[in-house]
Amino acid sequence: MGEVELSCRAYVKMYLHACLFPRCSINGLLLSSSSAGGAVCVTDCVPLLHSHLPLAPITQLALTQVDVWCSQTQQRIVGYYQANACVSDSSPTPCALKIADKIAEQFDSAVLLMLDGSKMSPDYRVPPIVMYERKDSRWTLKDKHMIMLRQWEETRAIAGQMMESGDHMQLVDFDTHLDDITKDWTNQKLNTKIAELASPANGNI
Amino acid sequence: MPLIPWLGLDHICFKVTLFSTEMRDKLRKWREDNFRNSEQIVDVGEELISEHGSKLGDDIWIIYEQVMIAALDCSRDDLALTCLQELRKQFPDSHRVKRLSGMRLEALERYDEANKHYDAILQEDPTNTAARKRKISILKAQGKSTEAIRELNEYLEQFVGDQEAWHELSELYINEHDYGKAAFCLEELMMTNPHNHLYCEQYAEVKYTQGGLENLELSRKYFAQALRLNNRNMRALFGLYMSASHIAASPKVSAKVKKDNMKYASWAASQINRAYKLAGRGTKENKCSVKAVEEMLESMQITMS
Repeated sequence: MGEVELSCRAYVKMYLHACLFPRCSINGLLLSSSSAGGAVCVTDCVPLLHSHLPLAPITQLALTQVDVWCSQTQQRIVGYYQANACVSDSSPTPCALKIADKIAEQFDSAVLLMLDGSKMSPDYRVPPIVMYERKDSRWTLKDKHMIMLRQWEETRAIAGQMMESGDHMQLVDFDTHLDDITKDWTNQKLNTKIAELASPANGNI
Repeated sequence: MPLIPWLGLDHICFKVTLFSTEMRDKLRKWREDNFRNSEQIVDVGEELISEHGSKLGDDIWIIYEQVMIAALDCSRDDLALTCLQELRKQFPDSHRVKRLSGMRLEALERYDEANKHYDAILQEDPTNTAARKRKISILKAQGKSTEAIRELNEYLEQFVGDQEAWHELSELYINEHDYGKAAFCLEELMMTNPHNHLYCEQYAEVKYTQGGLENLELSRKYFAQALRLNNRNMRALFGLYMSASHIAASPKVSAKVKKDNMKYASWAASQINRAYKLAGRGTKENKCSVKAVEEMLESMQITMS
């Protein structure tokens, strides 16, 4: 399978999502605004839940709504991410596999990304992510060399900086949106801040 | 308790200048409502203790306890130890303080030692529910879900009225995809808390997840009940819409059932639209959500008819 590129915006929002709910399992969708074919460029993400991940109704609702939003904004759902509450175990849960399967039905090169909580401390210099791809109907570990994060040092610095200044408190996931529907799960405000902090070389792919 | 030591969230930007009475009131409210806003508790509590400790009288002990637990939650072992040492000095033989020592050991992932503390408490006082629950939390933190579930079931046989325990058990079952047993726990909770809309709504979600026509109809009924108890519960509103739509679209239902459910779905859709239009006014921010919901509802209408 091909290369996967993870943008600054997607990484930072996933990271902030995990930071906002350190005691919960969290998940979300990975999106791409690039055309199909060639490398998969994950340009954005939508944080979904921080409670009751295995339950169906809200997940179905979120998938439908994000799908609609994607068709309105020329994006597509290309993957799924999850971080487990239990830091010592970063393997995909049955519900992660199920949702990733559903996404793979619509997009062959779908990716499943697990955030490794044990590697998210400031002294870890490598991206705390484990990626899976679909080979022969099974989700298998992706070759690390096929995963690209442009300007990783800068992305890492931005994520850390935004967490330090409390920006993760502004992140809205779908669960939060349902508690207060005036809140924006596309997180435009955070997108703007990330874009301001990132150098042109680290901008949208 | 599941603790994530890597997260050095020891100070969020929460600079508050409050009088000591205001700080005290805040801490009391958070205690009474059992909030887990540990970062705020640490911020306010640390300042209150260090700047105004002498004004607190006997309240200081319960504040030490509250701040200590919050400090553990934020990986502030320095602060936790300070609070614990004060409590140990004041109450040298207390089981309550011994439990706090145990919790600190848990936070440091020294689970075997923590268990020894709790076992010692239970030797002297077999009815000590706090110690039993900590032992179950350790199992959960270690990822031993099956054992945690077993222990929690045993606990509930003895302490059948413990709401917190029933809810914890329902969460454990949901994570294990054992929806039937999760539903049973939620039924217990609904019986003893008939006005709690959240339990109704969670029960409905579990039923929906179980699937099948009968479960869908139950889920619709309980989403509707949750709405009756709280008409602002958006999950219940969406849940009602989705369950009614699925029932109406099923080839197995009679014409009457189909018609009734289309009515429920249609009502729910109009309520959803109304709520989003109200929410969308004035804020440019969530225009995306408003449009997405509109289109989603339209597209689902088409598949239903």
